[in-house]
Amino acid sequence: MSVRTIARKDLADASRSKALWAVILIVLLSTAGITTLLAVTSDMAAGEVFSLSFQLAVTMLPIVALVLAKGAITAERESGSLRVLLSLPPSRRDVLVGKLLGRTALMLVATLISGFVTGLVVLTILGGTFGSLAAFIGFLGLMGVAFVAIGVGISAGSSSDSRATAVAVGAYMILVALWNLIQSAIQYGAIELGLMTEGSAPAWMKLVGLFPPNRAARAAYRNTVAGQLFGTDPFASVWLPVLLLLAWILVPVTIGYLRLRDAQIG
Amino acid sequence: MTGPAIEIDGLSKRFGDVTAVDSVDLTVESGEIFGFLGPNGAGKSTTINLLLDFVRPTSGSASMLGLDVSKDRETLHSRIGVVPENYGLYDRLSGRRHVELAAKLKDADDDPDELLDRVGLSQEDANRAAGDYSTGMSQRLALAMALVGAPDLLILDEPTSGLDPNGARELREIIQAENDRGVTVFFSSHILEQVEAVADRVGIMNEGELVAIDSIGRLRRQLDTGAQVILDVDRQPERSLGDLPNVRDIDVGGGTVRGTCLEPAAKLQFIDRVRELTTVTDVRIEESSLEDLFASYTGEDTTDSQTETVVPGGVA
Repeated sequence: MSVRTIARKDLADASRSKALWAVILIVLLSTAGITTLLAVTSDMAAGEVFSLSFQLAVTMLPIVALVLAKGAITAERESGSLRVLLSLPPSRRDVLVGKLLGRTALMLVATLISGFVTGLVVLTILGGTFGSLAAFIGFLGLMGVAFVAIGVGISAGSSSDSRATAVAVGAYMILVALWNLIQSAIQYGAIELGLMTEGSAPAWMKLVGLFPPNRAARAAYRNTVAGQLFGTDPFASVWLPVLLLLAWILVPVTIGYLRLRDAQIG
Repeated sequence: MTGPAIEIDGLSKRFGDVTAVDSVDLTVESGEIFGFLGPNGAGKSTTINLLLDFVRPTSGSASMLGLDVSKDRETLHSRIGVVPENYGLYDRLSGRRHVELAAKLKDADDDPDELLDRVGLSQEDANRAAGDYSTGMSQRLALAMALVGAPDLLILDEPTSGLDPNGARELREIIQAENDRGVTVFFSSHILEQVEAVADRVGIMNEGELVAIDSIGRLRRQLDTGAQVILDVDRQPERSLGDLPNVRDIDVGGGTVRGTCLEPAAKLQFIDRVRELTTVTDVRIEESSLEDLFASYTGEDTTDSQTETVVPGGVA
């Protein structure tokens, strides 16, 4: 009851933020715009354009998700409205879950619109199956939710909005912008330490490659399109990346909750 | 209702090596209006934060309406109304939406417009986003949210801050009306006249300790800072007034003679002495304010001889 009321309040409140819509609009227009450009000017097949467009989206959408989520708790903590909410019956957990649901709903709306627009452009210009469009939107949505959960978790665990912003930027840099570099560094270090030989690809190293939500989402999409829904190799499967994405939803929120539970709301 | 509305038992809170609240014991009975006083940093807000489970105690416990402030907080919070310190509103949501939110979360079926009207916000105000509100209007809205669900206990942290004198008077009327309905009111303030006007009892905090709890009348008598007698004279007395028992801080100048009289009979003696020396054209008497009382408990010196005591049988 409390959770739903808070989620609806949050949706009403956050969706009135002009800055938020500006960020969403910029990201969506650039994703859809570049995709349209690709579809019109290149002679790639629909599947290829979808794949490229997906890669673009998994780089851009995390920005929307983190911007949308990182202030979920800290903004209320700084304005003092959290004190009002917590003076009322809802518990800290209710507030956190309500906020997560509100921001998730907002993110899903943004993802659905962008995915649908992008997808329709590709389908009308190049043709293709609605099945691939469903996978396209579905996994983008799941990844978006994972980044919202990361952002809300960061927000719940931070004592100020500026701190939450810094951690969110750090999370984006590590998980999205710099993961190639980090992966190479881990690989290099592992070879140096004799944990693996050059040219080999042990399971744990594959897991490192799959670790960030954006990587997991891309793998899930690729493997679905490749028709390996129930493949035996976990790294060519859909279930392993989906499991990773679910972990990305649960773990940050849990850590954030534990920190919020013990925080002084002074 | 029986039983105390608030029961605080050996409550302490330390932040690092700073003791914000130092083993406070306090019982607020059902149906009373309790004023909670103290300078900034005295531990008032931390005490209220502990009561609201915003902060967890280092030791001790507290309950309100017989419910533990932490373990039973959800049940408890549906039965109390709170205007917390440094509260914030949702800038983009209307005033009415705020009250509706509180009603939904408290599972109450109050009419938002009726509550908003009670705190003096018009229909037009109710439709505006809270971000456009003045401090006084925000304070009224916060109070309206606190009144949702006919609470048994109101906790108001500095409720008069941001209100103009008119708003403060309306707030007092609301507090009084709620109290007449049987509601216990616990409010902190540094505006002492507000407390004086409405509170049955006061507690004074200083440096984390509760230094006094009593009715305002009794506190004043107990302390007896005396009354200041101000005499308008048509010419300055030429001689010194000399020593008078139970009169201190005699001050001559600017067409007046002032003296602080520690007991009633000293006032007459003081006036008589001045009349021997000059002509008194007017007499004014100022009772010590709560301000003086407060200062004497919290160690701020406003008058220089608080330690002076009444000499028994001073009037010979």
